[in-house]
Order: sequence, then C-alpha cells, then structure tokens
Amino acid sequence: MSVVTVVRRAVLWVPDWPVVAAMTEAGLGADVPAAVLHGRGLVAVSAAARAAGVRRGSTRRLAQRACPELVILPHDEGRDSRLFESVAAAAEQAVSGVEISRPGLMIIPADGAARFHGSEETLAEALVTAVAEHAGLECAVGAADGLLAAVIAARRAELVPAGTSRDYLAPAPVESLALAAMERVQRQEAERLASVLTRLGIVTLGDLAALPFPDVLARFGPVGVWAHRLASGEDLAPPVLRRSEEDIAVEHVFEDPAERIEQLVHVAREAAAALDAALLAAGVRCGRVRITARTEKGQELERVWRTDVGTRAGAFARHMTDRVRWQLEGWLSGTAGAGGDKGPEPSPLVSLGLVAEDVVPLGSEQAYLWGGVSGADSRAHRALERVQGLLGLEGVLAVAEQGGRSPRDRAHLAPWGQEAPPARAIAHPWPGRIPDPPPATVPPVARPALVLDAGGAPVTISRRLAISAPPTWVRLEADGADERARAANRHPSEGHVGRIVGPVWDRPRPVESWAGPWPVSERWWSEDASRLAYLQVALRDGEGVATAVLLAYGGGEWRLEAVYD
Amino acid sequence: METAEARLARAREALAGVQRKVGTTRERWEAPTLPLVPLLDQVLPQGLRRGQVIAVAGSTSLMLALAAAASEAGSWTAAVGMPSLGVVAAARRGLDLARVALVPHPGAQAAAVAGACVDGMDVVLLGPRLALSEPDRRRLATRARERGAVIIAEAPWAGAHASLTAVASRWHGLGAGDGRLRGRELTVRVEERRGAAARLVTVPLEAEAPLRRGATVPAVAAARVLGGAA
Repeated sequence: MSVVTVVRRAVLWVPDWPVVAAMTEAGLGADVPAAVLHGRGLVAVSAAARAAGVRRGSTRRLAQRACPELVILPHDEGRDSRLFESVAAAAEQAVSGVEISRPGLMIIPADGAARFHGSEETLAEALVTAVAEHAGLECAVGAADGLLAAVIAARRAELVPAGTSRDYLAPAPVESLALAAMERVQRQEAERLASVLTRLGIVTLGDLAALPFPDVLARFGPVGVWAHRLASGEDLAPPVLRRSEEDIAVEHVFEDPAERIEQLVHVAREAAAALDAALLAAGVRCGRVRITARTEKGQELERVWRTDVGTRAGAFARHMTDRVRWQLEGWLSGTAGAGGDKGPEPSPLVSLGLVAEDVVPLGSEQAYLWGGVSGADSRAHRALERVQGLLGLEGVLAVAEQGGRSPRDRAHLAPWGQEAPPARAIAHPWPGRIPDPPPATVPPVARPALVLDAGGAPVTISRRLAISAPPTWVRLEADGADERARAANRHPSEGHVGRIVGPVWDRPRPVESWAGPWPVSERWWSEDASRLAYLQVALRDGEGVATAVLLAYGGGEWRLEAVYD
Repeated sequence: METAEARLARAREALAGVQRKVGTTRERWEAPTLPLVPLLDQVLPQGLRRGQVIAVAGSTSLMLALAAAASEAGSWTAAVGMPSLGVVAAARRGLDLARVALVPHPGAQAAAVAGACVDGMDVVLLGPRLALSEPDRRRLATRARERGAVIIAEAPWAGAHASLTAVASRWHGLGAGDGRLRGRELTVRVEERRGAAARLVTVPLEAEAPLRRGATVPAVAAARVLGGAA
C-alpha cells in the first residue's frame, strides 16, 4: 500500500440519511417518527423516532412498542443514492467538486475551497446554507486532516486544527472505525475487528495507533493495516472528485403535426444526428437517452432508453435513429403503453425532444471487465429493444429463478433492461416446496378445476388434511373456442342464446394415479396469506397416454396450478 | 488448341484452389447445426439445423428440450406468445435464463415481433395462439433461413422441416395417494418433410435414478426407437 499524503478535507454529513431520503420520497414531514427497516432490524431512525425511544438495530416489534405511531419505510439503496444527488448538487453551489463516499456523506478537499471562502468557518457556513436552501435539509460539516478524523469531526460539527488529527482521534473508541467504512461489507469487517480489539483490551484509537505497525499487519492482515492507518490519522487514497455534467437536449418542432411513419423517419434521423453532434461538440458520451414527444392534444409522452456507451460509440447516431423511430412508431400506433398501462391514444405529434442523461466525458466511460459484448449479444439486444418499441417496456420480460414453494412463485419476471428487484433466495430451504421435476406449463393465473369422487361428488380436504374420498374424475376448463364443450355446458332452459356464466368444463377425465395432499401454508401473518393443499394427479387420456397436472385445494375450490406437458 | 481433358483439369485445379483459400465445400447435408441434447438424437438424427422450422404439438417440455443445449452453448432464445411457460422447468432443462426473453402477449403485432426475434435470436419459440397468417408464416420461415435461426412452433406449421407430435406419455412414481412424479417416457411421432414414413420415438424425458427398489423408472438412459409407421 503506497503512502498517500494526508489531505485536509471537509466532510458534509446528513444525519440519518436513509430515513431522511425515505421520508422525502414518501412525502412525510420531518417531525414524523419514521424508521427504515432492512431484514430484521432498523437501519436508520429519524430524530423524532429516536426521541420516542426507538433505537437503530432494534426489531420492528420492539420499535413499535416504544412508539406505536412509528412509520416503517422499506430499505432501498438505489433511492438513497438517487436522492443524495440533489444534496451533492446543492453543495456544488458552494464548492467546485465533491466526492460522494456513500449516500449521506460527502468529502470536499478543504484547502482550495477554504482559501476561496476566506476560512474554514465560512466554508462550513456556506455549505450548510447551500444545502439548507437548495435541498431543504439539515447537515453538519467538519474538517480535519485524514479521513476518519474528518468524518468524526463532521458528526460533532467541529473543525480540527491542522496537524492535531492523531491527538483528536486518540480518545475515540475503536468502534468508530466503522464510520470510515464506505460499503456494507467493509463496515461489517470493521465492526468485527473492533469487537476483537475490544476483547483484547484495545479500547481507543490511541491504543491501536500505539501498536507497532508490523505486528498489526501480522495479526490482523489488510483490515488491520487499514484500521491502523486510519487510527494514526493517515489517509488511504486522495479524494476522487465528481465532475457534474449538464444533460444535453435536442428539440425538434414539426412544422405540420406528424401522423405518418414516413414523416417521422427523416425527423428521427435528423434528431439523432443533432444529438450525436451536440455530444461530440461537448466531448461527452451519455448512458441514457430520454425521448419525449408532445401530441396535438397536449399530451406529454416520455420514455427513457439505456444506451451502451462503450460498445456503440461508433454507430451511435444510427442506433439512436432506430430507437427514436421505433418509439415514435409505437406512440403513433398507440401500442406502446407508458409504464405498462394502456398506451396513449394515437394522436399526431407536434414536437420531439431528445435528452442525453448520465453524461460522462469521452474516454472515461467504463468498459466491461472481460471485453465488450459479442456480436450475437448485441444483435439480440437490438431485437429485444425493437420489440419493446413495438409493445412497450413491459412487452418483453427477462426471467430468472427465485426461491418459493409453488411453481408460479419460483419464476421471477421483470421488464427487459430494467434493474430487477431482489428475488427471493433460492438457497433458503423452502419446506413444503413442490418436488422436481418442475412443470413446463404454469398458467400466469391458476385456472379453475373440478375434482370428483367415484360418485361424482366434489372431493374436499379438511383442515386436518383428511381427503373426503379418493379423486376419481377431474374436469378441467375447456378451450373457450370449443363449440361442442360450450353446448354441453349450456343448460337446456337457456336455449341457444346468452353467455355461459362461469367456466366452460371439459369432459371428465379419469384419474390414473395421484399423490398428496401436500399442505403449503404461506405468509399467515400477512394480507396475501395462502393455505393450500396440493395434489399431483396423472389423468388417463387413452391407452398409455397420461397427462400429469398439479392441482391445489383452498377455500373450498380446486384450481389447476400447472401442467406437466 | 488444348484438349477438353486439359481444360477440365485446369478448371478442377482452379476450383480446388478456391476451396483451399475459402474453405472446404459445404454440402447441403452439412448445413451448420446448433447443439442438441443427446436425449433427442433419435428424434432429430441430423441435429438442430439452422434455418429450420420445427413444429411441436402436445409437449412444452419437448420444445424446451430442443432449445436447451443451444442456449447452454451461448445462443439467445425468445419465447413469443407463451405466457404460461414454466421458467423453472426451462432452467432445469438447461436453458440459460440470462439469455432467454419472454414476449408473453404480442397481440396484433405478432408477425412484427416474431420477425424481430428471428432477426436477432438463434432460437425462437412460438406459442400456439399467435395472430399469424399463412403468408406471415412463410415470410418468417424465409427469414429464419436467411438469418440462420431456428423456429420451434407449438402449432401445426405447413411446410415445417420436422413435425413432432407427442402421442403418448407415461408417468412413473405416482401411486394411489402416495409417491410423486418421478420419471416420464414420452413417445413422439416424428414426421420429416423430406423423409421416409413417420417414426415413433420414445424418449425418457424426465429420468431419475430410482431411490428404492421397485420404483418403475426406466433403466435405459438412451432413447429407444420403436420403429414402424404411425
């Protein structure tokens, strides 16, 4: 590890950032007691909740006992970093460059900024004022030499004189090492190290810094080195500054409202070329492109597309032309729904705008570690983007396997190209899971079914899993277009008119063999609780022909869950 | 004036030179193929050739098995109009889900969507209820031949290179209230467009080693050809 010169830095800290961000997004006032829950414990607690006795790390139940009106908000790291952008932008009103080390904590090299503002006191004042005015948030600013001293100074809102960081840190407990950890894994390691050190009798950072460096390395490895450097008031790396780039926008207003594809092809090419030229002139590349359009009726249409900066650098304009054209075709034909619901009604377009977002300077975009995507991959991506242009974002789904008990629960679907929310872990035991082989046909919604005993009476399963009679016949839903089945289901008194209420049943099929019932009781504590008994049934369709199905009984009704076809 | 033999020899030499430079000749029967699981060797002895259309009736598992090895080897797969495709079954069959995209409800745009998928993907699975007219299907087949994609359609397809129909299916492992589904033998009728009479092939599609003696699980792992015309 090379020695890094110690940099004087100011740290801007927003207390309880995860909960502040969650409350901002939920539209709650600052006086509402709120907490962010992740896993089994609270990860952040608002000031009002802390005053009511809610502590970080406690369980939901303990917290609600201390403060019954507590609002529990979900944990979302994406939201935390997204909303912190506005704080960073506010701070940039006062200083020229900041490093966001983690959401809630920002590092500013203090030397130049303090010279510009006159002194560190005025710099701190300017920062606090800027964040309060532009982001509407309270924050604390501190300054010191070295990373850990600066972070601790920010929490105490103090300015540590130059050269005294080591003395400033000496009385602090070793647990405060975790404050300088910027990622969750690093924080866990720091906490583990702190607990070992405490048990060894090394309670303060001063004790740790007094230990010989080679011994710390020998005993604790890289984590020990990291901790020792921090405790000695040294730095690990110089601050990396973020350079904010403005989004680049291109606007095109149609002379006549456009309602035919042919009019748009040309416009799409021109707009894409204009955007490409604007990006090139500014010397930047973009990670996302927002396509906006206004219809004659004043409706605003908008769609964000992600672009791969590295792989398509050469053909950006052509690629964008296709994207814009597909999107406009989708809007004009009224098939591309915005956000999954039904699309806008087709209407001529009066203006088109392209905004390049996630702008980075040319040459600093991150390529894939193992080289770019292959030709086949980019061809497939283009095809799927084309389909998304036709059907809307939710028209194409990416699939993954996740943990669960029923075959339907084990599939995880998300719109293609979107970051999927975390799936349930497959590695968990999932007791009561339907055993393999998995069925190849799983209807998105369970279909009704009838299970009858030898006498034609419905089979029921009691709460104690006693089956009323062995299943002998199964009737599944018939194909809706099958006229014969429809006729057979129609009661003679209805004549040949009118619709059939309820499912159209196919002919009864004899049960060849069956297994079950297998009880699965899930989420009894929540609204979507389900208590089902599963039955695997092989239906006989002729000599040597069997169809295996998975049936579920719950709430007095049978449902067809899956077909092993 | 040279003789005809000399001219012929010179032409042959030129041809051989071109072959040396460009590569060997490619006969019709050596069209590039996608990998196929060994289980289905008897069903499609010539392999999963690029540019072909295969119609499958009666078994989604068979469609997944056809696409599995290609997907594992890096091909992209799209399933159009199959909203009830079992994702876990696809993963167990060997498909790499990172390279699988579902288009569950293409609606009226079915022809355009299927066309785009044939352009970009190696294997395209088409569901049974797609709004495709007969000319649409012909265009798709032509496009697949040009792009080297394989279309596996769950519907009768006029002019398909091979039609696979699940005619019989036998399950093992279920009793009268006990056991569970374990093994399955699927009998497939294979009709090839330019081939002899239809063949019946039995495939142990779900095979699992018997846990205890007496469980009726097929011991043979390879497919058995029953032979005979359907």
